[in-house]
Amino acid sequence: MSAVIRLPAEQKYEAELAALARKDEGSRPPGWRLSPRAVATYILGAGKPVDGVAITPKFIGDASLVEVAIATLVSDRALMLVGEPGTAKSWLSEHLCAAISGDSSLIVQGTAGTSEDHIKYSWNYALLLAEGPTEKALVPSPILRAMEAGKFARFEEITRTPAEIQDALISLLSEKQVAVPELARIAAAQRGFNLIATANTRDRGVNEMSAALKRRFNFVTIPVVSDLRQEIEIVTKREAELRSDYQVEPTPPAELVAMLVTMFQELRAGVTKDRKTKVNPPSSVMSTAEAISVLFNSAILAQHFGDGAVGPKELARSLVGAVAKESAEDLKSLREYNETVAKGRDGLWKTFHAEARRILKAS
Amino acid sequence: MSGSSLARVHLFPVRHHSPRSTAMLRAFLERVRPKVVLVEGPCDADPLVDVLVDAKTEPPIAILGYATEGEPRSALWPFAAYSPEWQALRWAAEHEVTARFIDVPVGVSLAHDRASEEHEGEPYEDEGEERGEHEARAEPRFDPHQAAAEARGLRGFEELWEACFEAPAYEPQQFREALLAHAALVREAHPVRWHRARDAFMAARIEAIVAGGEGVDGVDPERIVAVVGAAHAAAFVAGDVDPALLSTLPEARPAATTVIPYSFPRLAAQLGYGAGNRAPQYYQLAHEAGCDFRQATLRALLGFGAELRSRGFAASMADTIEAYRLARALADLRDKPEPGLDEVREACIATLCHGDAGPVDAFLWRGMLGHRVGRVAERIGKNSLQEEFWREVDERALPRDDEPTEVALLLREPRAVETSVFLHRLRVAGVPYASYQGTYKDRAVRRGEVDEAGGVDALGRMRESWMAQWTPSTDIALVERIALGSTLQQVTDQVLGQRLEEATGTADAASVLLEAVVTVCPRPAADAMRACDRLAATDDDLPSLARACMSLSGLVSYGSSRDVLMGGGSKATLDALCRKTFDRAVLRLRPACTGDDDAVAEIPRALQTLHDVALSQPGVDRDVWLRAAAELVEDYSIHPRAAGVATALLYLARHVSEDDVAIYVGQRLSDTLHPQAGAAYLEGFLQINAMVLVKNRAIVETLDAWVCEVEPETFRNILPLLRRVFGALGPTERRTFLENLINARGLGDRAAAAATVITTTDEAVLAEVSDDLDLALDDLDDLL
Ligand SMILES: Nc1ncnc2c1ncn2[C@@H]1O[C@H](COP(=O)(O)OP(=O)(O)OP(=O)(O)O)[C@@H](O)[C@H]1O
Ligand SMILES: [Mg+2]
Repeated sequence: MSAVIRLPAEQKYEAELAALARKDEGSRPPGWRLSPRAVATYILGAGKPVDGVAITPKFIGDASLVEVAIATLVSDRALMLVGEPGTAKSWLSEHLCAAISGDSSLIVQGTAGTSEDHIKYSWNYALLLAEGPTEKALVPSPILRAMEAGKFARFEEITRTPAEIQDALISLLSEKQVAVPELARIAAAQRGFNLIATANTRDRGVNEMSAALKRRFNFVTIPVVSDLRQEIEIVTKREAELRSDYQVEPTPPAELVAMLVTMFQELRAGVTKDRKTKVNPPSSVMSTAEAISVLFNSAILAQHFGDGAVGPKELARSLVGAVAKESAEDLKSLREYNETVAKGRDGLWKTFHAEARRILKAS
Repeated sequence: MSGSSLARVHLFPVRHHSPRSTAMLRAFLERVRPKVVLVEGPCDADPLVDVLVDAKTEPPIAILGYATEGEPRSALWPFAAYSPEWQALRWAAEHEVTARFIDVPVGVSLAHDRASEEHEGEPYEDEGEERGEHEARAEPRFDPHQAAAEARGLRGFEELWEACFEAPAYEPQQFREALLAHAALVREAHPVRWHRARDAFMAARIEAIVAGGEGVDGVDPERIVAVVGAAHAAAFVAGDVDPALLSTLPEARPAATTVIPYSFPRLAAQLGYGAGNRAPQYYQLAHEAGCDFRQATLRALLGFGAELRSRGFAASMADTIEAYRLARALADLRDKPEPGLDEVREACIATLCHGDAGPVDAFLWRGMLGHRVGRVAERIGKNSLQEEFWREVDERALPRDDEPTEVALLLREPRAVETSVFLHRLRVAGVPYASYQGTYKDRAVRRGEVDEAGGVDALGRMRESWMAQWTPSTDIALVERIALGSTLQQVTDQVLGQRLEEATGTADAASVLLEAVVTVCPRPAADAMRACDRLAATDDDLPSLARACMSLSGLVSYGSSRDVLMGGGSKATLDALCRKTFDRAVLRLRPACTGDDDAVAEIPRALQTLHDVALSQPGVDRDVWLRAAAELVEDYSIHPRAAGVATALLYLARHVSEDDVAIYVGQRLSDTLHPQAGAAYLEGFLQINAMVLVKNRAIVETLDAWVCEVEPETFRNILPLLRRVFGALGPTERRTFLENLINARGLGDRAAAAATVITTTDEAVLAEVSDDLDLALDDLDDLL
C-alpha cells in the first residue's frame, strides 16, 4: 500500500471549509469557525457550489440526526454518538470537529486502560524530578488542550473506559475547568470548548454509564443503513475517496458494488431481500465500514495481484479474508450463503459463486 | 346572480384543524364585528348550531350526517376546540349574531361519496383533498403540498405547514394573504370538479343570504364574514366560480344530522390536508397557550418527563429543560420561527430518552395524540339508543374513553350479569364498544385461545373479561341502528329476528336461540325455539343437527346465569326440543356417513358432538346412540372414516373392549384389496384421541402388521394418506407410539434407551401440564 498518510478532515476539506466560511452569514456561537447552518451544509453537502467550491456530502443519511447533533453542540451540551460498529460515528465526530473547531485531532481513545491522566493531565517525569512541578513539566491531555484552546475534544469508545474514569468527566463537563493543585492553578475552558464522544452498542452499553454523566450528554443514535440504494451510494463514494487518497487505480463496476452491498444487507438481516430465504448472519460485524473496506481491498488486490480490473474474484477473496478473521462459524455461514443464495443468481453472482466456492474450500 | 356581493363579503380562509387559523379568525372577527357569520359545513346542520356552541358542549365533537333510508351510510364533520369553524360559531353565539352553514347538504355529500366509491380504482376527476373521514385516499400523482415542503428542505407538508403557518406570529390580514397565496397554487395544481361544484353552491348561498334569503334578513355584505377552507376562499377571491357546475351535484339522499362526541385519537387517525391533524393534544396545548408553540413544546416535554418518571425511567427536570433548549436550537437551525412536533420528538429522544426512540414510540407519543373525548350538551343530539348507552355506561362505571380498558365481570353477582347482558347486546347489535377476551384475560392471552363470545360457552361461564373502548364509531353505530329500534333490546330483537329469517338449518336457529338467551331477549328466543322445532323435523344435515343438539343440550343442562323467561317455552318444551333434534340426528346418521371424502368432511366432528351430548345429557336416549354407533362400526357400506371415528368413540367410552377394538381395526385393515379404505378408517380412528389409541399395545401391533404387509405398490398409493394420519400425531403421541412399537417388536434394549429419551424430553410437556394444573387451581379458587 502506498505511504500516503490519511489527512485529517480539516486539511483534506480545507477548500470546502474556507469557501463555506467566506459565504457564511449566519451568526457563529463563541469559538466556532462556522455558523451552525454552515456546519450542517458541510456535513450534508450542498446542491450547488458555494463560492465556486462543490460541497460534498460527508454523512449520507437522515439529515435530522445531523441537525440534532449540531443543535446539541450549539446549546453547549456534550454530544454522544451511539450506534452499531461502522455506522460513521467516528467519521461524523471528526467532521463536526473539523468544521466547528478546525481541529479534529484532539482525541482520547477509550480503552480498559484509560486513566484519569488521559482525561486531565500527566507529567513529564524527567522534568518533574529535575525542576519540580512547573508548567513545562505538565503534559496536558487532549481534553485539557481542547479546553484551553476553546476547541472540541473527541472521546472515542467512551464506554470501554472504567466507570470511575468516565465519572472524572462529570466535573470537567459541568464546571468546564480542571484543577491543577500541583501548580496551584485552575485550567478553565475557553468558550468554544465541547466534547463529542462515541459509543459502540456492541460494547458495554451506554445504559451502564452513570446517570450523572448521562445527564451531561445529548444522545444521537446513528442507525445501520437498511436502504439498499443509500448504502450503495455511501460505499461507492467512500471507496472512491479511499482509492484516490491511496492512489489505487482499478475502479469497481457499479454492478459489483450493488452485489457486495446486497450481500452485506442480506447477511446482516439474516434474510434475503425478497424475504424468501433465511440466511445465517455471521458474528463478525457486517457494517457499512466493513463493506467499504472489503471493496477497497478488492481494488488493491486487483492493482497488485490481478489484471488491473476489479471483479468477483477479488471481491470473493477480500470478503472471505474479512469474514474469516472472526471465526470458523462465520466461514460456515458464508459458505451456506454462497450455496443457497449466491448460487441461484445471474450476472456477476455466477462468477462470484464459483470463485467463493473455490476459496472457501481451501480455507 | 352577481359576483359583486361575493367579492364584498369578508372571506376568511382557514385550515380545518389549526390553532393559528383559529386565533387569526377570532382576531379578524373582533375587528370586523360582522352581523352574520357563514361557515363551511353542511347547510342542513344549521339547527345543530345551538347544540354545537352550548356551554355544556365540549369539543372534540362532530356533526354526524347519516342516511335515513336505504343502505346505511354516514359522514362526519369533526371539530376540535382549535377548529376555526367551531370558534366562528362560538363567536357568533357570544355576540348574538346569526351563524349559518353554507356547504352542500349532507344528503348530497353522501350521494357523492357513494359515487366516488363506485369509481374506486379508476381515474375519477372528483377525487381530491377534502375534509371529513370519507376521503383520505393516497394520491400517487403530483402532490403540490409535498413539493412545496421539499422546496424548503422540509420532510413533508405537515412540517411545512407548521413552520410557515402555525408557528409564525401573524397579523390576521397577513395570514389571510399568505394562506390564500398558498391555496391558489394548490388549487391550480389540480382543480377538482366536486370542490368546484361546492364552490358554486357556497357562492350561491352567500349571494342568497346577502339578498335576504335563507331566513336571514338582508345584510350589507361588508357585515358578513365567510369562513371557508383556503382553497374555496382562493376560488372566490379569483372570481373563479362556475354556476353551471351546480347541476353536476348529485341528487341528495334522504338524510339527517346530529352531533356526537368525538375523540383526539380519531382526529389523529385522519390524514390529508383537509382532515389532517398529526397530534391533537399538542395543537390543543398550542391553542390553550394562544398559539405560543414554544410554550406548547415546553408543556409537551414536561409531560414526557413526568410520564417517563412514572414508569420508572430516570428523567430529571434538568433533562426536560435540556430537551426544551434543544428543541429551540433545532428550530433555529432549521430556520423555523418556533419549534414544532418534529422538534419535540427529536429533542425528547436525544435528551430524555438517551438516544433511544423506543419509549417515544411505545408510549410517549400517544400522549401527543391525547385521549380527550368530547361531550355534547344534553339538549339534543342524543337519540334514545345513545341515551341508553350512556346511561348504562355511567351507571355501571364502564369505560367512557377512547382507550382500551379491561372490564372483568364475576357472573355470580346479578349486577355483573346485567352488565354482561348489556355488553352482549351491543355485540349482537353490531355496536363497536367491547370485545370479549375470554373468561379470564391473562389466561386467554397466555394460552392464545379465547372461547367464543356467545354460544354454548357463554352459558356456564363464571366470569367474563372484556376489552372496552368507546370510539366515535360507537356513537355512529348507535345513531345508525335507531332504524332498527329505539332500545338496545329492540335492536337486538331485530338483528336476531333477521338472522332467524335467514336460518336454513337447525344449527342456525339454535345459535340464534343461544344468542337470544345470552342477550335476554325473550321474543327471538321463543321464535328461535319454534324455528328449531320446525327445522329439526326435516333437517338432513348431520353437522347442523349435531351443533343444534349441542346448543340445546347446553341450555337444558346449564339454563343460564341470566334468567330468561323462554317466552312461553317451559323447561319441558326445551327438553322435548332437545330430544327431538337428537333423535332426528340419530335417524340421519347412516345416510350422512355415506358418500365421498368431501361429503363426510364434517362428519367426524358431528359424531364427536353427538357422542358428547349422548353421554352428558340425561335428557336424550343414550342407548339409541350407542346402538347406532355400534352399527356404524361394523357397517362396511359407509365411509370408512366415519366407521373409524365411531370405533374410537365407543372404545374410549368403554363400549368396545380392549380385545374387540384390536379385532375391529384388524378387520378393517385386513382388506388388502382396498388399502385406501383401511387408511381412511385409520384416519378417523386416530383423529379422536390418538394418545389413548397409540397406548393400546394390541392396536399398535395390528397397525404395525398392516403397514408391513401392504404391497409396495399399494403402499406408495396410500402413503399421502398415511402421512396425513401419522403427521397429525403430536410429539408425545408419536413417542408413545414408537415406544409401543419397539416393545411390540421385542427390541427391549433399544426400548430402554428410548425410555430415557422420553423421560428427559417429556420434562417440557410435564411443565406445561403443571401450568394447566395451576390454572385449574385458580379456577377452583374462583369457585370457592
Ligand atoms: N452514513 C454514512 N455516510 C458516510 N459515510 C459512512 C456512512 N456510514 C459509514 N460510512 C463510512 O464508514 C466508515 C465508518 O467508520 P467509523 O469508524 O466512523 O464507524 P464507527 O461508527 O465509529 O464504528 P466503530 O463503532 O467501530 O468505531 C467511514 O469511512 C465512513 O465514511
Ligand atoms: Mg469509531
